[in-house]
Amino acid sequence: MRRHLVDQLAPPVYAAVDFAAIMAPALYLKVTADRAGLGGSQGIDLIVASTVIGAAHAVLAWWRLRSEERLARRRADLWIAAVDSLVVLALGATLLLIAVLHGFADEHASLADRGYPVVALWVGIQLVAVTAAEATGWFVFWWLEPEEAGRVLDR
Amino acid sequence: MLNRRQFLAAGLGGAGALLAGAGLADQVWPFLAREDLVPGKAPDARLRAGAWATTDERLTFAAIGDNGSGGRQAMAVAARMAETYESVPFGLVALLGDICYYGNFEDRFDDVFARPMRPLLDAGVGFELAIGNHDEDLRHSDEGMAEIEAELRLLGTPGLYYSTAHGPAQFFYLDSSAPGRLLAQGRSEQREWLDNALATSSSQWKIVVLHHPPYSSGKHGSTPGAKERLEPILARHHVDLVLAGHDHHYERTHPIDGITYVVSGGGCKTTPVRRSRLTAVSESTLQFILVDIAGDRLVGTCIRADGDVVDRFSLMAREGR
Repeated sequence: MRRHLVDQLAPPVYAAVDFAAIMAPALYLKVTADRAGLGGSQGIDLIVASTVIGAAHAVLAWWRLRSEERLARRRADLWIAAVDSLVVLALGATLLLIAVLHGFADEHASLADRGYPVVALWVGIQLVAVTAAEATGWFVFWWLEPEEAGRVLDR
Repeated sequence: MLNRRQFLAAGLGGAGALLAGAGLADQVWPFLAREDLVPGKAPDARLRAGAWATTDERLTFAAIGDNGSGGRQAMAVAARMAETYESVPFGLVALLGDICYYGNFEDRFDDVFARPMRPLLDAGVGFELAIGNHDEDLRHSDEGMAEIEAELRLLGTPGLYYSTAHGPAQFFYLDSSAPGRLLAQGRSEQREWLDNALATSSSQWKIVVLHHPPYSSGKHGSTPGAKERLEPILARHHVDLVLAGHDHHYERTHPIDGITYVVSGGGCKTTPVRRSRLTAVSESTLQFILVDIAGDRLVGTCIRADGDVVDRFSLMAREGR
């Protein structure tokens, strides 16, 4: 009974954490900027973009977990892969952002001034982080259970 | 029991989770919040040129510090300055240092200065700079000096330290890019210059501008040596107001030996500030200050990026009292 409950709850909890990892940078920036007196609607576009990406990826992660859950020979394998994927997502969503924004400040400032929307850059960076996280999840699961991973892809 | 692959994958995941948990919450997100990395759009207001009126009795000027990111927060403060100009025109901006982050000034001149300040530049507003430590990021090197020289040249600044007069006020800009240059015991050249310049000044208002704050309750705190080696000179010559940046907040002290010290370093980033027994007002906020002098009365206003007023203070000129 308890095992069944854990099986039911784990995927949505994982999806929620996944969603939070994508949302965190935008929310953190918005809250601190508002507190510092930036005000207005600045940063709302980034929150909306992160919400869309986060929600889509949460659904994808949930689906991936349920698929792997049905196929995995060892339950530990799918959770090891899931945690690895989440770690890459959490680190990628923020560190990649800092690396790109800090490392190419000149280019972004110039683009923004020419009307290039910052949200496009934001979405691009977050999609790269999401892709890296998905790739990690699939790779680790395939590495731990080569035959079963192939069957997930076939479904 | 974990097999070898599981052990490796779980170990990497666990280590990554620890790194993510500790590093993101403690270092990375605060860094992201503290810096001004998100690009922003420059203000495009069209201001009436030369709308201010500077006379022997009257001067209005603005002061902003640590505004050199070129990011959206810097743009928001610059936009607020332009909006403020529309209602209270000013002909001078005192830059309190650190006018360029994330690169060198020559490359980033447009990003960190020309674009955000374009409305004011087009209106003919003058800019005067006190050099900051980030304006010499490669300190004690040829590149560091080249960076400072580029700033001085591009802004038309007459020297590392200098004095200007506008209406009833004289400004004394100091070079604290490396605080030792100003405050070290064995390096008295700049302090001797200040002593002489203040002694020969006949202006009603004496305002000293430098990057490192003699008094601050913020992240960096009060600058060591300022109390012992700078303050006696300022007190001896009845300096009215000291403007500084460096710490990314706003703070005004109660008068100390008759001198009011203001930190106005919220030009594009913020860091926390406490209150000390010397603090009259302090707030960690994006801001600049507007100063209006009319005769023997000075009114200073700290304005946030969203237009709210953080502080308003008034001083009476000390000269002749």
